[in-house]
Amino acid sequence: MKLANKTMNIFFIAGLYLTVFLLDIVPGVPPMLLTVLKKGVIFSLVAVSMNLLNGFTGLFSLGQAGFMLMGAYSYAVINISSSLKPVVYQYYSPFFNFSLTEVLGNALGGFGVVLGVTVSMIIAGLVAAFMAFLIGLPVLKLKSDYLAIATLGFAEIVRALIQLEALAPVTNGSQLLRGFPYFRGIFIPFIIVGICIAVIVLLINSTYGRAFKAIRDDEIAAEAMGINLASHKRLAFVISSFFAGVSGALLAMYQTTVQANTFKSAMTYEILLIVVIGGIGSVSGSCIGSFLFIACSEWWLRFLDNSNNNIFGLNILRSGFRMVVFSFVIMIMVLFFRKGIMGEREISSENIVKSVKSLICRIKKGRCNER
Amino acid sequence: MNADILHLDNVTMQFGGVVAVNNLTLDVKEHEIVALIGPNGAGKTTAFNAITGVYEPTNGEISFCGKTVVRNHPQGKMKKLYAGLNADKYSGEVLKPTPDMLTKLGMARTFQNIRLWKSQTVFDNVLIAKHMLRTSNVFSATFRLNRQEEKQHREEVSELLKTVGLDDVKDDLATGLPYGKQRRLEIARALATKPKLLLLDEPAAGMNPQETNELTDFIGEIRDRFSLTVLLIEHHMNLVMDISDRIYVLDFGKLIAQGNPNEIQHNEKVIDAYLGVEKNA
Repeated sequence: MKLANKTMNIFFIAGLYLTVFLLDIVPGVPPMLLTVLKKGVIFSLVAVSMNLLNGFTGLFSLGQAGFMLMGAYSYAVINISSSLKPVVYQYYSPFFNFSLTEVLGNALGGFGVVLGVTVSMIIAGLVAAFMAFLIGLPVLKLKSDYLAIATLGFAEIVRALIQLEALAPVTNGSQLLRGFPYFRGIFIPFIIVGICIAVIVLLINSTYGRAFKAIRDDEIAAEAMGINLASHKRLAFVISSFFAGVSGALLAMYQTTVQANTFKSAMTYEILLIVVIGGIGSVSGSCIGSFLFIACSEWWLRFLDNSNNNIFGLNILRSGFRMVVFSFVIMIMVLFFRKGIMGEREISSENIVKSVKSLICRIKKGRCNER
Repeated sequence: MNADILHLDNVTMQFGGVVAVNNLTLDVKEHEIVALIGPNGAGKTTAFNAITGVYEPTNGEISFCGKTVVRNHPQGKMKKLYAGLNADKYSGEVLKPTPDMLTKLGMARTFQNIRLWKSQTVFDNVLIAKHMLRTSNVFSATFRLNRQEEKQHREEVSELLKTVGLDDVKDDLATGLPYGKQRRLEIARALATKPKLLLLDEPAAGMNPQETNELTDFIGEIRDRFSLTVLLIEHHMNLVMDISDRIYVLDFGKLIAQGNPNEIQHNEKVIDAYLGVEKNA
């Protein structure tokens, strides 16, 4: 039975992926939908990584934007093509005089480019993870709100440091970085994010994931049962930051440029919003939440920003109005739907079949006794 | 005579001006059931927390399985590196334990107010305790290279649940269980770490007489089956007198009596401080 469920789930996910890839090939798909899918999938990775920390380990951290920024910059800096270096670093002499993808691409051809991108993604993750390790040494001794404040502060500090004049040969100061390999279709982000989330899910279901959940539920009991709190918290923090770094690199590829100002603390709040909407402690919830959020902010609620439209004859719409709507959504969520869309449940083929069955039952009889 | 498994030497636990445990000397021998009793606020749970590494005692020495785990100079924490009189007594290796290290050494405990992992099933609650015995690292665990070990742990957990009689509810949420079963589950969870010494903090609190009787049998049974040593805090005198080999009595942090159940029952100090007298005339 269990194996059957597993295969069903794999088919379910494969089906979703197939649909998404078909959307890319079939002509006539609104370009906005593709944008939402691309950005949404990147945000779902960072949301899942935040959920690993906030939802599964119970560490309330708000440093995600900082780690994304580390990832994005490390990816960009080592990959800017040498022909564009003088243009990009117009005021400085670049510190790194090579482009990893280019070097590997010249040596190995097409495979080299793929390898280069993969390796630099991993490097982006590792840089973020290493930072997390260092930050984690002092910061993880803090609890709940204090941890959130400290990590938020760290993210802001990183953003300021990146723009420092002294680091400009590497980071190009506050000017943007561009000229690194990026993607056009939606294959690459979906595949990379798929692999990353699969790894996170495997981790969550492993013995370490169970230990994380134990720490979330009751630290004192976890410690008394032989789970080393310090090392497990650090582990969760480092792994979460690794994937935040990878998603930062993906975001850099999506935007084709990197600038420190994109990664403001507002971005962390957006990710937190996604996690809360999706359900703290649910991976599939985070994914759904991120697509919903991105679709709303990029597409469905755009009309609110257009001052030419009006509601009920009132001319109250102007740019930034959708953020007001978002604030209301957050308030309503916090007041009435604390558990978010999914709560702690996950979407799986089994659960879908169950809920459809119970729905049919309800429609037929009005009541269903099946348990 | 069996060897000491746990030895406390002049352990004092002070919180500011309050002396919660005052010069407690206690030893527990292998395969014994030892009870620690006393009125409310006598410092029993504090002593437990000092033993399990939650608190670091202000003074005194604790050794477990022949290893010195904590040693503070009689003059207090700050003079740990004392090298004057009796210097040899204060040298040698000392573990500075956190609770998880002590659990790895073979000391498992339950809590006075049940602390189960609330969002987990009964099975998972016990399985998580097995995490401590893993040999896999995070990579091998994530990529399922530890299948053998995982399978073995799961089998052990099923077996353990059968022994403690929680087999039928293993897929229920831990918090959904009735109170007595939650207690049992907490003991099962402690047993999953394969302890040598089991510390039970008021295992019968809130239980009715029948449940208490069952628990009494249960504790004796697991002691024999897993060849455990048990140290327990309890207020149910029937249970304590039935199963304990020896009893220590605390009052206001001080040890006022020790001995076998019969001696304790007739000890005047204990009767004064704790047990009370039945009015016959």
